[in-house]
Amino acid sequence: MIQLQVKGLTYSINSQKIVNDVTLEIKEGEFVGLVGPNGCGKSTLLKNIYRVYRPDQGAVYLDGKDISELSNRESAKKMSVMVQENNVEFDLYVMDMVLLGRYAHKKLLGETTAEDRRIARESLKKVGMERYEERSFLSLSGGEKQRVLIARALTQQAKMIVLDEPTNHLDVGYQYQIMNILKSQNITVFSSVHDLNIAAYYCDKLILMNDGKIVCCGTPSEVLTPERIRDLFKISAEVTTRKNGKLQIYYEPDSTLL
Amino acid sequence: MNKKIKEMLPLRSKAQYTAFVITMLLLLLLVLVVSVLVGSVDISPEIIGKVLVNHLTGRETFEPTWNKNTDSIIWTIRMPRIILAFVVGAGLSLCGILMQALTKNSLADPYVLGISSGASAGAVSAIIFGWFSFCGKYSTMFGATLGALLALVLAMKFATINNRITSTQLVLSGVAVSALFSAYTNFCVYHSNTSTDKVKSALYWMLGSLGGATWEKMFYGMVAFIICAIIVFFFHKALDVLMLGDDAAITLGVNLHRLKFCVILLSTILTGIIVSISGVIGFVGLVIPHMTRAIVGSGHKRLIPAAVLIGGFFMIICDVLSRVVVSPQELSIGVVTAFFGAPFFLFLIRKGERSFGGKK
Repeated sequence: MIQLQVKGLTYSINSQKIVNDVTLEIKEGEFVGLVGPNGCGKSTLLKNIYRVYRPDQGAVYLDGKDISELSNRESAKKMSVMVQENNVEFDLYVMDMVLLGRYAHKKLLGETTAEDRRIARESLKKVGMERYEERSFLSLSGGEKQRVLIARALTQQAKMIVLDEPTNHLDVGYQYQIMNILKSQNITVFSSVHDLNIAAYYCDKLILMNDGKIVCCGTPSEVLTPERIRDLFKISAEVTTRKNGKLQIYYEPDSTLL
Repeated sequence: MNKKIKEMLPLRSKAQYTAFVITMLLLLLLVLVVSVLVGSVDISPEIIGKVLVNHLTGRETFEPTWNKNTDSIIWTIRMPRIILAFVVGAGLSLCGILMQALTKNSLADPYVLGISSGASAGAVSAIIFGWFSFCGKYSTMFGATLGALLALVLAMKFATINNRITSTQLVLSGVAVSALFSAYTNFCVYHSNTSTDKVKSALYWMLGSLGGATWEKMFYGMVAFIICAIIVFFFHKALDVLMLGDDAAITLGVNLHRLKFCVILLSTILTGIIVSISGVIGFVGLVIPHMTRAIVGSGHKRLIPAAVLIGGFFMIICDVLSRVVVSPQELSIGVVTAFFGAPFFLFLIRKGERSFGGKK
């Protein structure tokens, strides 16, 4: 069943087309990675999907419904989002931060119930942060903050999660930890991924973008060929297969390409 | 001991929070009593008590052994003034909280953003030029609200870069907006050929004073404050989400445009009405929410009631000081709050540099 569908989405910033006629589909339960060089329009596409931007043309459908016809509350119940929140100035306890994930499920003046707390606790447990309930959010390390934000997204109990470079700025161990956490959840994942090896390791399907357009779409081995990596990322690459069947990409800097 | 207190904050359990609120209420009662007692005319506590009881019960419970003057000093001068001080302090704190959630920046408050100056410019226009006369006796309030709205929109517009408001941008655009509206107000006052009476009352708006308090003014302020506080309390959860940023608010399910519209509307109406009653009183909306966050945390459900109490309490104390320091003269209350607030503001800027030094 198709969960997320983007049809002919175009979005311009300062009359420059950042996302140009993008069409894509994500099926229920898939783990889909969005890859492409810096500035290719990944974040802008995602922002159109999670409603921070409104597409100039085209539309986004969630469970077959046009999201522009849904309220933010309704879409928050269907799709949770995790982006880096580095600019939070006001401190909250980790538990309170995670409980904000229940906002969409609350009516006006609806107070936090024991059930909300149970869900929040469960989410914290899923990301291995159950002991941090009483810690202040701003005192956490980058990796811990990311995990708390994932817990908040899980607390929304949506069937799908959209992430924008969830492993950015994290140590390598945390990068894999975050992806492991996402992989082990029973939800559809659509995430932009910076590191091609991580993308190849975790994603069922990759969508490769360049210059605001989708270049190709398929399994990691279909998408990540040495030629494409060379063309788009300006680096020579050797693509091999590991014992476990996953791709492994080795890079070889080549000054003539840049 | 000091360290122990620090470890306890912000208060976590419900019992602690309740204890804190009760303590604040008691302190408020205490400072209320002190405030009635203090003034250029010495009146014994016993007489004050009797006067109050007579007025509150609406009949002569006690035989009046005092003259009419004493009665009017207590009932028509001191009492409305004290309650107005509470309303102004509480209201400005609430405005500060709203503006901080709106800008996601703890330096925002009606004074820093120049909104009070906008309100005062609107009020002065109404007084000197007789604008908004279609509103009758509410023309000053209407003018002040309109001025506040204009100032807020201007300040937000110039403070926002790439959908974000940095502290630097916020303070800079606040300074500019404030300067612009103050210049206009000054211009109006100095170049108006109207009677000195009007100019005098315009000056009073610019400095900030509770001296002109009457029951009627107190009543308008109180009603506006209570209505705004109740509405704000209805969306306290949405404010928590808004505080995290616009993107987070949208993806967590907040109707962002409606919420921002409400916040802007309520905060400008409240600022406008308060400024039209008491003039420009600075820094309260900045200092009080900040202190309260340290004590009860940033969740608005707890923050709002606590900040309202602390704000009212603080303002009553400032009012007492303004009456005592240069007695029998009276200091404008804006001067007193600035003596507390400005150093605190500087402290916040320093602190902000340290904790967010690594970020853009």
